[in-house]
Amino acid sequence: MPSEQDLSADVVIVGSGVAGSSIANELARAGISVIVLEAGPRVDRQHFVENFRNLENKPSYQGPFPAVPWARHPPDQVTPNDYLHTTGPDAEAYQQVYLRMMGGTTWHWAGCAWRYLPSDFELKTRYGQGRDWALKYDDLEPFYYQAEVMMGVCGPDPKVEDLGSPRKQPYPMDALPISYAAQQFRKLISEKTPYRVVHEPQARNTRPYDSRPTCEGHNNCMPICPIGAMYNGSYSVYHAEAAGAKFVPNAVVYRIERDSANKRVTAVHYYDPDKGSHRVTGKYFVIAAHCIETAKLMLFSADEQSPDGIANSSGHVGRNMMDHTGVQVSFISGDKALWPGRGPLETNVIDNFRDGDWRNERGAYLVHMVDDNQVDLATQLAISKGYVGRELEEQIRYLASHTVRLFSHNEGLADPDNRLTLSKTNKDILGIPHPEVYYKLPEYTVKSCEHTRGLFRDLIGLMHGTDEEWTPGYFPQDHPAGSTIMGTDPKDSVVDGFCRTHDHENLFIASSSVFSSVGTGNITLTVAALALRVADTLKKELAHA
Amino acid sequence: MPDVTRKILWSVLTAGTALATFSAVPARADDPSADLMARGEYIATAGDCVACHTAPGGKPFAGGLKITTPMGDVVTTNITPDPDHGIGKYTEEDFEKSLRHGIRRDGSRLYPAMPYVSYSGMTDGDVKALYTWFMHGVKPVAETPPVTSLNFPANLRITMGLWNMVATSETPETGDSATFDKLRRGKYLARALEHCGTCHTPRNIMLSEKEDSYLAGASLLGWYAPNITSSKTGGIGNWSEDNLVEYLKTGHVAGLSQAAGPMGEAVEHSTSHLTDDDLHALAAYILQVPAMTDEAEHSPREQFGKPLEEADVRSGELTRIDKLDQMDGAQIYDANCAACHGGNGAGTADHYAPSLFHNSVVGSARPDDLIMAVLNGVDRNAGGVHVHMPAFNQTSDVERLSNAEIASVVNYVTATFGSGDHGVTAEQVEKMGKELPKTP
Repeated sequence: MPSEQDLSADVVIVGSGVAGSSIANELARAGISVIVLEAGPRVDRQHFVENFRNLENKPSYQGPFPAVPWARHPPDQVTPNDYLHTTGPDAEAYQQVYLRMMGGTTWHWAGCAWRYLPSDFELKTRYGQGRDWALKYDDLEPFYYQAEVMMGVCGPDPKVEDLGSPRKQPYPMDALPISYAAQQFRKLISEKTPYRVVHEPQARNTRPYDSRPTCEGHNNCMPICPIGAMYNGSYSVYHAEAAGAKFVPNAVVYRIERDSANKRVTAVHYYDPDKGSHRVTGKYFVIAAHCIETAKLMLFSADEQSPDGIANSSGHVGRNMMDHTGVQVSFISGDKALWPGRGPLETNVIDNFRDGDWRNERGAYLVHMVDDNQVDLATQLAISKGYVGRELEEQIRYLASHTVRLFSHNEGLADPDNRLTLSKTNKDILGIPHPEVYYKLPEYTVKSCEHTRGLFRDLIGLMHGTDEEWTPGYFPQDHPAGSTIMGTDPKDSVVDGFCRTHDHENLFIASSSVFSSVGTGNITLTVAALALRVADTLKKELAHA
Repeated sequence: MPDVTRKILWSVLTAGTALATFSAVPARADDPSADLMARGEYIATAGDCVACHTAPGGKPFAGGLKITTPMGDVVTTNITPDPDHGIGKYTEEDFEKSLRHGIRRDGSRLYPAMPYVSYSGMTDGDVKALYTWFMHGVKPVAETPPVTSLNFPANLRITMGLWNMVATSETPETGDSATFDKLRRGKYLARALEHCGTCHTPRNIMLSEKEDSYLAGASLLGWYAPNITSSKTGGIGNWSEDNLVEYLKTGHVAGLSQAAGPMGEAVEHSTSHLTDDDLHALAAYILQVPAMTDEAEHSPREQFGKPLEEADVRSGELTRIDKLDQMDGAQIYDANCAACHGGNGAGTADHYAPSLFHNSVVGSARPDDLIMAVLNGVDRNAGGVHVHMPAFNQTSDVERLSNAEIASVVNYVTATFGSGDHGVTAEQVEKMGKELPKTP
């Protein structure tokens, strides 16, 4: 750990996930000094892989990633989970998981790298719902491409399969080959429905890329890609370090200090695991600590100057919590065997409901046909049906090859009442309160989910499905957004179109917390593009300073 | 023999320039015949000129690769037809002198990093074709790479004249090399063009190849170019001609071996582009090279090992590692290697990731190439397949294994799938890790 007098840099970043580490990399390459403070520890891939192999509960996405007491994260998607406390009518639908680790939550994502649609940025203007962003798709397009090159994204040729987000450049890598299960599913959808199945853009290698190998389809992108074929934030950490950025693990930022005018941030303070306090000064500060932890930090930093928390003159810090809260079903197809589980987890999407005029009354959604190995589920089902011996084996084989799993991302909507606050009763060992979220699913999203259920029932009928297993209620997607919402009016938003806080001129936020709407695509590529745009702004301002 | 004298030459480890086809220049009225040009390009490929005369990421044939020798670094030169920076002013006679005798146009001596002792075996007709192609088929590049500066006495280029007096050169072949019978053609390819002996033949104290130990195996910067004589125990005497052809074409033969490092480069840039007839000729010649027993290898290195018997269910504690203690060899294998090479070591069904048993590199008594593959990874684009194993050294983005971890996993792999635990130490791995490719 650097000594006290080292703790100063041009830019100080809180959080080392895809947002923080990619900003650090861009700035360090431009010769700008950077310190990144990461609350969690630094752990190598091999330990996560070994943990995954040792775990009995393979689908536990959080399982292989042990939290440290000074930087806890939710242990799993369960209520109560003793860290992320959720309340309200749809408390269970907001059980988000994330990681506090060097490299961030992309250790266990599925690599889905969607660009948002142009309409996603103009929801209010086009459909009279929710809010507009303070930027347009075209502002972000070059940064989307930069993010795709950084991560290594594969995707379809737009001339063959237009995903609705205009591209100036082709994807850095060709799209993934289509698995057998996906081929069957595509055929069914194109022949028997008015819909289509598209290649999901993926931050995974379809050829050797960035000194990392080609995806071999191990089928456990979540919880951990065992060979490094899928992007995660740790690569950007390594690249940034090679360019000279300094990363400090186990540094839990708990306070954001400002000047006497409360206009500029002057330092952040962090605790080490023994609660020793350290002060880090800089010219610019970026909070890139995940939607939930970012809002928590800004609220916890409240003091006499800012009694409601940092950058919170609008009162919107912690509000407008969104997600792609969805619907999930699995069933046994009565048609030909599909043999799912060959290849990456999420590669095929029905994208017909990502946009449409009906968005003036119900939310958009997309449908994943999940290509995961179903042996576990099939075994449980076969045992519950009372099979034994040779018949049990045959049934497991039959059920595992015929299981279909579908789930949706349904569009949330910014509602100030869906709010993150600091727990009054639960604190971690450093005395920092746990986050607490009140969540009531917006009517707009409920209607969207109802529409999805109808579609799923139609598809089950088409496939002569049996043994339906619907996930009760709603299915959280771990795509939290909105807690420091973007807007043009400082009275009802926290950051402007460049992710700069309205209240503090040298404080930026790089996270899905700035999203004004959530659209339907997975959020990571948009987080990365926004972060790279923050880096671009900082480079320009520091060059003129 | 002192280790240092073996480190004479090596090919490009990281030249990221995949040059299956070279960039052509526009046709002109006085263009030489297409046949001559095609032959020249083929000879250049068989001679693998591009391997050394292109810097990593640089323009083809513009030079700039640093070749480490015991006497210092030799920087390869620009051999594009640019008149000021390349060889544009060379006459065919000038070209022939440098190619076959190591004498530059200005009369000074080339360092033997340039394998002119091998190229001296080329026929007049092939020299002419090669010259013609370099002059008309290669795009001129107006760049001069840094100049070589060696230690005394090698910095005196005159010394190289004395060296030439003791070094053995190939005797030039005569006639049309295209009409040679199979073994003669094979010998021509092996000795004059592909210069196999440059890496595979040990060198004497004068750094000259030992003719009485032709292809008996030698070290080069961390890698070991193994004994490829017809010895059944020390060499490749159990390989069929078809096996060797497949290896040279794709870089891999299931159940025998696979190419990485400098040999992977040679396959990618040179041998995979040879015609089937030439590959068979080359293989037939290599397989009749007199057997040389090996001081270390006493049983066929490709015949060791068998699949590890795995229990269906893991025994012991199903717990995650909250304490990040150093893992043992079996755990490191499990977490870093097993995903591709299998828990049982059998590799993938399509052999994209090779089996670790019945694998010459793992079965060898010299763990050098296994250590180098773990350190530097494998990147070989040949035969229509781009094989890539990530590096596990301290620049890896996938996993940075310590020297001790690499030693421990290598010992586990050779003990489990190969010829036994060779007691590799962290110090050994550290030393080999320093033998990394250098870019100027």
